[in-house]
Amino acid sequence: MNRHTHVTGLLGVALVATIVLAVPVKAHHSFAMYDMGATRVFTGVVDRVDPAVNHLGIFFAVMNEARDGVLRNEKGEPVIWTVEMGGSAQMARQGVSVNTFPRGTVFSVALHPLRNGEPAGSREGPMFKCPDRNSRPALGKHCDSVEGHVAIGSGTLPTPTK
Amino acid sequence: MRIGAWTAAVLAGAFLAFLAFGPSLGAQQIVDPGFESVGRGAPVLVDVNEGAGGGRGGRGFGRGADQGTPPGQTPEGIEPLEVDLFTTTDFYKDRELWSDPRYFRCNTSTAIENIWGMGRGSSRLGDDPPRTAAWGPCDRDYPREAIVSPYPFQTAQAHYEALLEETRGRGGPTEHTYATVPNDWNGRYFSSGQHWYNMGRVQIPTVLSVLTPEYQTRMVQEAYHQGVTNKPQWQSQYCWPEGFMRRWHAAAVRDHQILVTPELVQISAGVADNFMTNIHIGREFEMDGVVPRLGADVPRWYGETIGFWDNDVLITWTSNIQGWKVHAATEHSNKMQTVEIYTPYRDDNGVLQGLQQEAIFYDPEAFVEPVRIVRNYAKRSGLAEGDPLVFIECLQTIYEIDGTATPISPGQVIDYKVRDMMGRPWAQIWEEYWEHGMERPEEEDVFSFD
Repeated sequence: MNRHTHVTGLLGVALVATIVLAVPVKAHHSFAMYDMGATRVFTGVVDRVDPAVNHLGIFFAVMNEARDGVLRNEKGEPVIWTVEMGGSAQMARQGVSVNTFPRGTVFSVALHPLRNGEPAGSREGPMFKCPDRNSRPALGKHCDSVEGHVAIGSGTLPTPTK
Repeated sequence: MRIGAWTAAVLAGAFLAFLAFGPSLGAQQIVDPGFESVGRGAPVLVDVNEGAGGGRGGRGFGRGADQGTPPGQTPEGIEPLEVDLFTTTDFYKDRELWSDPRYFRCNTSTAIENIWGMGRGSSRLGDDPPRTAAWGPCDRDYPREAIVSPYPFQTAQAHYEALLEETRGRGGPTEHTYATVPNDWNGRYFSSGQHWYNMGRVQIPTVLSVLTPEYQTRMVQEAYHQGVTNKPQWQSQYCWPEGFMRRWHAAAVRDHQILVTPELVQISAGVADNFMTNIHIGREFEMDGVVPRLGADVPRWYGETIGFWDNDVLITWTSNIQGWKVHAATEHSNKMQTVEIYTPYRDDNGVLQGLQQEAIFYDPEAFVEPVRIVRNYAKRSGLAEGDPLVFIECLQTIYEIDGTATPISPGQVIDYKVRDMMGRPWAQIWEEYWEHGMERPEEEDVFSFD
């Protein structure tokens, strides 16, 4: 096998691997439901992790600006948002699972919200997990500002558009 | 013949059980491993198919032809409790009574499930339900000693590793090739006979005695809503996942298909949904997570399984299981693990008749000690004959409407509440609609930072 064929072969393997890894997400549903031009950033408290094969979802209660409680509706119930991301196996390799994000975990995430205004979105950029429930961000800040935080993915939290 | 200490204890227990339950009972036959093993082949103390419960077709007491006392009547010689499941206003407050079979009017879990007349036979609730709910036979039960594991291991890992070490001492594990692997295992089987987990031949308090307090509460909660409010939440009715323990539920699995290769043994089954057990031969679990696993850190509905051969006996360890529930039976947690031993039994000509599955369940969150289920897969045919295995796709037609399972026809428009599927959705329905005024134990409030 000459070098050209070898390199071509490697590129082919990489392409196939990329497609294989990407297919579970893109094969499940259209992302047109999300406003990919909008970004919202939250710090929240995990209510539940749904380790669905195609999209791991985190249901979370949005924290208030003071970071000492969660937003509640007129009935006193926490306002729950959903952020969906990659498949559960892919996310587990990044450190996001039912075991690493148990109920009550404080974390920060950016998302592209649904176009219809319902409380859900598709994850954008990295996530940051606060080290523990007692180590929460300061007023208006997020977990990336807390010493000892855990970063999921690379980069910084996107700037919110709203 | 040398007899080990635990063998002696088991035999003594079997003798006592024999005395307690009458001369018609004998120990359920278990395939003799041919040697005294550290962790398999222990006799079943009481044959659940004999005497412990009648019932037409062997479905247990309180059902069919063996329905106990007619509705509205108390069995002779039985003093009813002042408060029981059918008269209580808050079953959460009755914990001290749960250990008394009279609290459930001596009905098994499946008898309560059928008490509204769902199954064969008419309603057993009487003229003033639920107050006049019928009693089952109070003189029948299946002993706890026959439910708990006869082995000394407290974890699946310890059990599996002990069996592996024992097999190494016998010259194994056997590394089969396509030429030597038991190809006669390939074929179709049906699960035959009863076992205690069918819940038709064991009093509820006996089952509760192997559960932790939280899981006792969960089982009593279901009994209340099946027997009193008549709001069953069977997982398959909504096309929810079946869950790991449904592999042992009589209504969930009938035909099994088994395929054997040197590297993988696959067991497929399912009635309302698909069960697939892939046994990865010779592999080892990753042990650096919360539970042992083969793949990613994601709980799997039917777990992940490794195994090894001891000649023609297959020994497996399953872990990384998603916690869930079986109706009329117990819930299990994400910590559930099993050790399962598949032992072939043959006729005098050496022809395979079936496989005996001895399964030991380890779940420290749900069980106070490990439990065991023994059952047989009777071989029906090879793969070259008979109906092919059916792959199930469940299309939902029953929806929860105001807390009640309701068949919905095409074209109907309904209000639909999405449930937290990882948070006991069946209990969410009961607690929202059917437990008003009850004092349920409070859960930790993760949304408060006081």
